[in-house]
Amino acid sequence: MDKAIIVQNITKKYKLYNGTKERLLDLLTPKSYGEDFFALTDVSFEAEKGDVVGFIGINGSGKSTLSNIIAGIVPETMGSVQITGQVALIAVAAGLKGDLTGRENIELKLLMLGFSKKEIIELEPSIIEFSELEKFIDQPVKSYSSGMRSRLGFAISVNVDPDILIIDEALSVGDKAFAEKSLEKMKEFKKQGKTMIFVSHSIGQMKQFCDKILWLEFGKVKDYGDVEEVIPKYESFLNDWKKMNKIERQEYRKKAMK
Amino acid sequence: MKSAIMVLKEQIDNFYLIRRLSLYELKSQNKNNYLGILWEIINPTIQILIYWFVFGTLRSSEPINVNGEYVPFFIWLLIAFILWIFFYQSTIEGSKSIYSRLLMLSKMNFPMSVIPNYVIFSKLYVHIAMLIITIIFLQFYGFTISIYSLQIFYYLFATLCLIFSVSLITSTLSTIIRDVHMFLNSTLRMGLYLSGVLWPIAIIGNSTVIAILKLNPLYYLIEGYRHALLGSSWYLIDHWQYTLYFWGLILVLFLFGSILHIKFRRHFIDYL
Repeated sequence: MDKAIIVQNITKKYKLYNGTKERLLDLLTPKSYGEDFFALTDVSFEAEKGDVVGFIGINGSGKSTLSNIIAGIVPETMGSVQITGQVALIAVAAGLKGDLTGRENIELKLLMLGFSKKEIIELEPSIIEFSELEKFIDQPVKSYSSGMRSRLGFAISVNVDPDILIIDEALSVGDKAFAEKSLEKMKEFKKQGKTMIFVSHSIGQMKQFCDKILWLEFGKVKDYGDVEEVIPKYESFLNDWKKMNKIERQEYRKKAMK
Repeated sequence: MKSAIMVLKEQIDNFYLIRRLSLYELKSQNKNNYLGILWEIINPTIQILIYWFVFGTLRSSEPINVNGEYVPFFIWLLIAFILWIFFYQSTIEGSKSIYSRLLMLSKMNFPMSVIPNYVIFSKLYVHIAMLIITIIFLQFYGFTISIYSLQIFYYLFATLCLIFSVSLITSTLSTIIRDVHMFLNSTLRMGLYLSGVLWPIAIIGNSTVIAILKLNPLYYLIEGYRHALLGSSWYLIDHWQYTLYFWGLILVLFLFGSILHIKFRRHFIDYL
């Protein structure tokens, strides 16, 4: 099988500054100012073509950072990412222009993705249909509800037919009917053998949908394996985590970071 | 050098994209006004009338000598002003172009160096419209189209090169340090007074000061525009040393801008 995604020893360092003065000094002088914060440390994993990988982990474990790095939005500090094919990231706030209408946004976005005029005309009806926006499609996007917005963003990303799809909690908005419809579309993609990355807090959706699970904890890989193997471990961890109080959590965090 | 070729190649490869995106840009900027795109013309018209009133009636409205020919002050001002407003608006917009659009564009593999350019292009349409209006207006004043008018294409291209090179630098710098944009915003206005738009710099009389003011590449373009539209001479050939200086400066700015842009563009998102 071909590898679709190879992530090797990815580390992402952010700098935390105390005020703008440190920021400027760090930029201008060779000496390092500010505190280092590692959002990801030494993360490696591989996904084969056609795999559906779920990213799980508690808040702040680096799931979104990792998916952003794979999508090529955020640069990594160290390590390398190899990707075969085109990546599309679906996030809740996918860039839409508020002043333009839904239809214009579709055209604009497709244009920026490198589609020709002819292809855009061909794709447009199916996107509009999928988004279920009907007459709102010719209204400015700023008048949309958040559900409508994410529906439009989702409809565009899904219809451009990418090789690798990264879904960052996009299915948590919108009503149940639309979520189901999106899930159907995902299943269709799965059948076509597309590689997908699924970031979500919903364990139910994960079980239903994913083949493999990457469990991140404080920016490190805690576990990577088949769904049946990892999910139970994560569930029992979640139970323990819920019971812990603040101090216990801090101690756990310290231990995990070492 | 490698970065410069890369940036140049991205512009050529994505020329279709630049044209289309600039139209959307123009559209989305004027969506909220009832008069829409007309404001792009009304706004400078009002401004020029104010400057004409202040500098034309209060100071002195004597005709100005352009290459031996006396030109009414209003005409003299009008030609420079439409160029100035194009330069000013697109430099300001170009400077903030990257950081204000980054979040939307970084979600896809988008050639970043195209961003300042399509913002500039969206202003270019308005400028061309103003230019045509001005040329029609000039016909009534007796400054008819002549062979010298052809120079305008050269100067238009030169203006684009200048704005793009400057924007390449400022858009990168102001993404990293937002203050650069504020600085530009507050100092660029000075250019209106120092580039020979409102008054002929020859009235200073001190040749050293004039020479320093002439280092401003915008002055070259403004004088070129005047000579082209008033049909008096081949300014670019008559002042060939000045032409050489201008393109040398553009080359330096463009090289510097490209290196800066290529070096930092992968990390733009970290500065947001």
